[in-house]
Amino acid sequence: MSRRSFSVPTFTATATADHATTLANGTYMGLSAIAATNRAEISEIYLGGQSAASNVNIMMLARHNTIAATLAALAAPNSDGPLDGLTQVITSAVRGFVAATTPPTRSAGTTEARLNLTYNSFGGIVRWLAAPGSEWKITGVTSLLSESSISGFTGGGNGVMGGHIIYEQM
Amino acid sequence: MKSKSRFEGYLMVDHRASPGIPEDVARAAGRDPRLSGEGKLFEAATMTCTHCQNIVVLNPERKRARAYCPKCDNYICDGCEALRQMPGYVHVSVEQLSDAILESAAKGAPLGSSLELLTKPKIFVP
Repeated sequence: MSRRSFSVPTFTATATADHATTLANGTYMGLSAIAATNRAEISEIYLGGQSAASNVNIMMLARHNTIAATLAALAAPNSDGPLDGLTQVITSAVRGFVAATTPPTRSAGTTEARLNLTYNSFGGIVRWLAAPGSEWKITGVTSLLSESSISGFTGGGNGVMGGHIIYEQM
Repeated sequence: MKSKSRFEGYLMVDHRASPGIPEDVARAAGRDPRLSGEGKLFEAATMTCTHCQNIVVLNPERKRARAYCPKCDNYICDGCEALRQMPGYVHVSVEQLSDAILESAAKGAPLGSSLELLTKPKIFVP
């Protein structure tokens, strides 16, 4: 339907374990399918380091085994909007979030997809582009399928960074 | 003739203005530590497995053949290839799974545990 950019100009990624530990609000960039018949494809991820000192961040794009409940609306300067300004408004659209009343937990499943974007947030940049047809997909309202996030994994530092996710709602 | 490289994504980790990441962390992330340190730029092709959607950073020095699924006409990851070789394997791509979920949701019957299974049974003893 339309390609969109979910952008978070600055946030502090906090090293958080998989599965049992809930991601703290404001430490992740999440993308939720929102509705049972929704589907989205992530085609690009960019993270730019803003830390003032060397900080190795083990950033993960991963699925959620517990999906977030009651997503908080984005507050400026965070944003999520169509790349084409003429795009019609979609009701119940896929959307990015950084906070929720019940935040998500990252899945620890060894057979589930994950993208490791480890980098040093003191001046480092990491960018991933999917080939057409090989995008990261989120679907419906089923846990492990309907929501994903970029967040810091155990062992990394608590680095400051900004980033964006380019995705398309199908 | 179309090439399978059209399915390749792209990963860039730029530490040209950064101290980079230590060697052990780079290895754990599946990257070449020689290209992950201070002042280095790491660029690699990636491949998304059509069975599990795992994104694999391709190792250009790999000698073994990459696993390929003729039904998807695409490369798959080594884990899914091991499953594919098992007897009784039923082919399900991530596209088929998504279609099944969306179709059942459109019909008003979302997949997942039945509410009857999640609530305690009511047993009436006469």
